[in-house]
Amino acid sequence: MIDALLIDDGLQDEMMGVFGQAAWACFQCGACTATCPWGIVSERSLSIREMMRRAQLSVGGAGGDVWLCTDCGQCLQSCPRGVPVSRVFQAWRGQLWKKRTVESGLTPVLWSVYWNGNPLSQPPSERMNWADGLDVPLFDAKEHEYLLFVGCTASYDPRAQKAARALVRILNTSGSDYGVLGEQERCCGECVLRMGHRPYFEDIARANLEQFRKAGVRRVVTISPHCYDAFNNHYPDRKEFVSIHYSQLLLDLLASGKIDLESTPSSRLSFHDPCLLSRANPEYETPREILAHFDGIEFEELDRSRAETLCCGGGGGRIFLETLPDERFSNLRIQEAQQHAIQTLLTTCPLCISCLEDSRSAIQVENLKVLDLAEFIVSAIVPDGRE
Amino acid sequence: MHEFHIVVCMKVVPKAEEIRVDPESLLLDRENARSEINPPDMNAIEHALRIKDQCRARVSILSMGPPLFESILRVGLAMGADDFYLLSDRAFAGADTLATTYTLARGIDKIGDVDLVICGEESADGATGQVPAGIAEWLGWPQVTLATEFQLSDDYTVCTARREIPGGYEVHRVKLPAVFSVKTASNEPRFMDFDRKPWAMEEAGVIVWSRSDIEVEDDLIGLKGSPTIVSGLEQAETRARQQHMLEGDPESIAAQLAEILAPFHTRN
Amino acid sequence: MAVSLYGPEDARQTVCVYLEHNAGRLEDVSLGLISKALELTSGSDWRVCGLILGDDTRKPAQEALARGLGEVISIQHEIMTRFDVSAFTRACFEVILQEKPAVFILGATPDGRDLAGRLAVRLRTGLNADCTDLRLNLETGQLISEVSGFGGGVIALLESPAHRPQMSTVRPGVFEQQFVRPVKSGVIRQIDVSLSRSDLQSELLERSVGERLDLSKSQVLICGGRGMHGEFVQLNALAEQLGGEVGATRPPVDEGYIERERQIGQTGVVCRPKLAVTCGISGAFHFVVGIQEADTVVAINIDPQAEIFNYCDYGVVADAHQVIPALIEALARESHSSHA
Repeated sequence: MIDALLIDDGLQDEMMGVFGQAAWACFQCGACTATCPWGIVSERSLSIREMMRRAQLSVGGAGGDVWLCTDCGQCLQSCPRGVPVSRVFQAWRGQLWKKRTVESGLTPVLWSVYWNGNPLSQPPSERMNWADGLDVPLFDAKEHEYLLFVGCTASYDPRAQKAARALVRILNTSGSDYGVLGEQERCCGECVLRMGHRPYFEDIARANLEQFRKAGVRRVVTISPHCYDAFNNHYPDRKEFVSIHYSQLLLDLLASGKIDLESTPSSRLSFHDPCLLSRANPEYETPREILAHFDGIEFEELDRSRAETLCCGGGGGRIFLETLPDERFSNLRIQEAQQHAIQTLLTTCPLCISCLEDSRSAIQVENLKVLDLAEFIVSAIVPDGRE
Repeated sequence: MHEFHIVVCMKVVPKAEEIRVDPESLLLDRENARSEINPPDMNAIEHALRIKDQCRARVSILSMGPPLFESILRVGLAMGADDFYLLSDRAFAGADTLATTYTLARGIDKIGDVDLVICGEESADGATGQVPAGIAEWLGWPQVTLATEFQLSDDYTVCTARREIPGGYEVHRVKLPAVFSVKTASNEPRFMDFDRKPWAMEEAGVIVWSRSDIEVEDDLIGLKGSPTIVSGLEQAETRARQQHMLEGDPESIAAQLAEILAPFHTRN
Repeated sequence: MAVSLYGPEDARQTVCVYLEHNAGRLEDVSLGLISKALELTSGSDWRVCGLILGDDTRKPAQEALARGLGEVISIQHEIMTRFDVSAFTRACFEVILQEKPAVFILGATPDGRDLAGRLAVRLRTGLNADCTDLRLNLETGQLISEVSGFGGGVIALLESPAHRPQMSTVRPGVFEQQFVRPVKSGVIRQIDVSLSRSDLQSELLERSVGERLDLSKSQVLICGGRGMHGEFVQLNALAEQLGGEVGATRPPVDEGYIERERQIGQTGVVCRPKLAVTCGISGAFHFVVGIQEADTVVAINIDPQAEIFNYCDYGVVADAHQVIPALIEALARESHSSHA
């Protein structure tokens, strides 16, 4: 007997909003499913093709798979028809929010963004604790060229805080004119968007834009590629300010001679490209150009790099959901680094660092360090670079 | 037919970590603290809304406090509540448990035809947990505290509730109307419904009642109606961890630890 | 001014202690209250009496006398086979109005809170809840209750100058049980209160007290991390000894040494225990958020640089495998000597 397929009206509306006329662009070739990193870690894999078909027909029943997507963008990269796959996943998730059948643990994340201004259930009054003992001025449009948007992970996660501290030490030594919003900084909303709650994301975006407008922000430098991507590609009507990722700023500073590299680290390096700085935003040459400023470093590319990078597994809201040990993309990444005898794996995203550090200690790799690019640079310019 | 009516008692509390005691006046400085809905009350409204999901019911928010509560508690309307009653009057200020429960009970009387009152387990600021029992007493209704599940009879006149007690649970059946408190963290409060949010935040009318709107005796409200007074107030040590490192040989460390842990024995 | 049913001028110099009992034994919280009441009034003319309710109160009432109370008021009634807030409030109300104690204290247990909340309203008196300490001015009869608010961030002293009885519920575990010589002339006074089934407010359909895993409610949490190398036997023993539960970070869960329900942190359970002991845990942020609301954190880790030491109240740089057995022994010795 064949079960009847039920058309889900709410889903249809949602999907029409995403696809519009492009609804039928997907012709079920399956390149998405074939290239999805879930296929590497899990036999059942994530059948994006099937979900696309269900989406076209507005037939529900995608189940928990909707929450597997890390929004890495690999499928988009492979799609011959340019179908906005990740938007479709977000729309699926949006439907589950409306039906209140989201995975347990995600609603508290939204509430935390609402009450605390961060998804990590941390007190807003402790948002500046990361900068203890450092000279980090509050943003003033009259004095500062740009706003440093620290982001939630770098504000609260002790591992990511180290990257933020390294960055401001570089900025302070290079005489940069920047300020931060301090306790008034609130989540950029990227995690909310990826978790599929678009209406709330839009609220957050409006509120942040209003705050930037009032503060006279013209230029934003973000620590997290997630904030960067949200500002650049998802904030509505953003005309007043430009947003760059801190790696781009560091490259400018190096190119204009404002950073003196005093020493060259001797370890064998590689770079893990964050998804949002390689596929969604093709910025992968920036870190390599930065590294080119060091004389005689030993650098080797990982097998999957640049636009073909392997996701760390922490995007798309996955950082708030449990991933089974043998399904963690970051484990593969660490193993890859191990195979290349890499000693220092660099990256430029707080979530990547968090996932990679976890996998490094899980696999018990002793002679591999995971470092943020800012941490790496600070150790080359400040005599006692490591705090 | 009578519409099943649930009143959820809610309040707004300053975020705990931002509360300071003014060293001179020895008063709480709440002015500069960010506020939020008392987290246990979020569990209360979620329980009420789950009942509403299953049967035709009206859910009303009831709160006592200054006008600033209004904008914050509208969140409850966006979650799915239908009405919001705010008891707000300078004369209500300074109320302790006795005066608070009296005023809330009179508010419930004034709302009328209420079948179920649901409260959070306790408030994050006072942490007395005595409000549900007090309301029940003023109303002369039965009470079940620390509830985690609700089941209504087919004719909506009886409620069976599971409550949590240390190490286990009990199931009670009470005639309605009755007052319940719900166990903190006994559910995951739903997020706001964004189709309702514009209405909830902007358009919805909040019914604000002052002293003269509800039938109260002046002697029983606010500071005058409160037997307890605060005779001293101090800032407790902050949450900052002591980071006290224990030194010595394994024996001595074990002895020191045993001393530290001894008060935490939860069984004989 | 709201007026209580009797005032300071009519109140007697009596501290009345509400006694909770289960299976013929007094609850720990009641034993602590007896000790505190005797301590507050020692060397004075003040009288301390217990108040006990039930269908059969003989054994626990005797136990109260053995713990040093000179007098226990007992209300026995066949309908009081279990706590019912309506019937118990009614019975206590009658006794309080007869006895007019200046002070009436209860344990801040679920039953104690239910009863105190209703009784205070019926007596139109003040109630201080979940107190962490009590002081009594023997001259003025003024009770001063210490309470903490805002997650323990603020401590307040509360008084009820014009209302009697002065009621307080006391957080279980704050008062130690002292050994006191029993009073030879101690008496149990039976008081009859007319009650009927219609005084019961609710029907108890089911009651179960047993083991159920809910880490978020555990008061004591013993957590193991990668550094335990899968050895959870000792941690289980320590948890058992302290009446707590065992939790874990992600690695031991991943490696199958312990159930996933016991994983603590951002993607596991977020707990707020009174005590968390972390063993062999380095202190990754996603774990720390799961215990950061704990009242006290003890960390044991072999690596002095471990991040966890920034989040602990007491730190031990050592191998947990060596510290825990020694600790279990030390705790056993201590509890043995205090019960002797």
